[in-house]
Amino acid sequence: MGKTRLSLLREVIANLTKRPSTIKYPVAREVTVAPGSRGRQYADLMKCIGCSLCAIDCPANAIVMDKLPEPLKHNPRGVYPVVDYGKCIFCYQCVFVCPVKAYITTDVFELADYSTSTSREQSLSTIALGGSR
Amino acid sequence: MVVVEIPIGPQHPALHEPIMLKVKTDGEEVVEVAVTTGYNHRGIEKLLEKNSWIRGMYIAGRVCGICNAVHTQTYVQGVEKLMGIEPTPRANYIRTMVMELERIHSHLLICAVMAEIVGFDTLFMLIMRDRERVMHLKELVTGNRVHADIHVLGGVKRDLDEVRRTRILDELRKIEERLKYYKKVYETDYTLVRRLSEVGRISKSDAIRLSLVGPTLRASGIKSDVRSDDPYAAYSEVPFNIEYRDEGDSWARMMVRLDEALESVNIVRYTAEKLPQGPAVPKTVPRAAKPGEVISRVEAPRGELLYHIVSTGGSNPYRVKIRTPSFLNILNTESTYLGHRLADVPVIFASYDPCISCTERVIVVDEKSGKKAYVSLKELARGG
Repeated sequence: MGKTRLSLLREVIANLTKRPSTIKYPVAREVTVAPGSRGRQYADLMKCIGCSLCAIDCPANAIVMDKLPEPLKHNPRGVYPVVDYGKCIFCYQCVFVCPVKAYITTDVFELADYSTSTSREQSLSTIALGGSR
Repeated sequence: MVVVEIPIGPQHPALHEPIMLKVKTDGEEVVEVAVTTGYNHRGIEKLLEKNSWIRGMYIAGRVCGICNAVHTQTYVQGVEKLMGIEPTPRANYIRTMVMELERIHSHLLICAVMAEIVGFDTLFMLIMRDRERVMHLKELVTGNRVHADIHVLGGVKRDLDEVRRTRILDELRKIEERLKYYKKVYETDYTLVRRLSEVGRISKSDAIRLSLVGPTLRASGIKSDVRSDDPYAAYSEVPFNIEYRDEGDSWARMMVRLDEALESVNIVRYTAEKLPQGPAVPKTVPRAAKPGEVISRVEAPRGELLYHIVSTGGSNPYRVKIRTPSFLNILNTESTYLGHRLADVPVIFASYDPCISCTERVIVVDEKSGKKAYVSLKELARGG
């Protein structure tokens, strides 16, 4: 076994001509996530039946079942899940456990916000849009 | 000469996690080392008791960030045994693939950290750059680069399609090439070999006496691996070699890890190529377990991981006891530092691949004046 004193020299010289591997985030937004990466998820209220299974199974207690605003009653129970993204650990147990596959999944991962960010607006907008069906 | 006590940790540049080594030195020579833990206790075992079987899967995964899929696997296979359900062969193959990807990135991480500790920062940067490829593969399979969260009771949460399978096989070629290169660097580099050889040597008999596990044990010439001794997931069908070395020093421990990472590449390739047909995602969500107890063990990147789960029926576990590999490898190796120089302490410590977040679940009941008090379960229940 021959010992070399500068074993990495060739590697280092080869890297001198290459671009740095470091991503200059957030100046250059070139972060790519793999397709199907677990990002922000929210319930499609046209599909949701208000069964609360996602809230029961959520390991971070990030999902609260909230009352639907008065004119909107799309499921007999009148409740819908609100995900608190500050608490959510993005394990997708809610997506898996949902009996009607009501969760819409995205790969959005930039969730830093000045105020508490929840899925309320997106979920309610699914009704305004007429759902994704 | 005067014996000086030097505390290394709990916050120290050479140690990446909160643990304290009280090192007594006579000049430069280490004469006594006492390992103090307890800076990172989170009450995970209690938390598991308070939550349902399903929530428990994610809590178990959070015991350790690096080996989260392995922790979940150990918990899930124990609970599956209690519930009497069997995952499908395809699910087992996907679980095996994720666990082996985890082993590759865990071993690459410690090889990088070791390079940093010996002052070889260029190698640290290069390894960390290439480790990102493995993390990306894990993200491709599971949806997240660190926390896999792919296990569910009776299978996996997402299936692997043909496009992903091809990408994994492509990427593995590049990863294997880089791993072979780093193995060559660790084998031939003058600085690394001089710094790691003959440091922290553990003989074969000592390794057994100290009940060491994982690569630390295998570097002392003992061929022991839960994957072959007690096959779980798809390991009974996957061919692989158990890597071991006879030297027993810090260098051998790093080499065993690099050899194992290369072997893991072969396992991932095998599982991707020979992925059985059939369903992988279960349709039902079981919620209640029968009364009983089960011991579940898995070969984590750092060694044997053991869960003892007790159920009295219902939706929550009655007790979950976790024994992690780092617990044995850190606490039982105090004697291996003796006779070495102070500068060797971080090198020896890092060569055990310590994972503090795994270890910190122990409450010492009473250890004043060397006396150990044992409290029975009944007394504890009464608030004793």
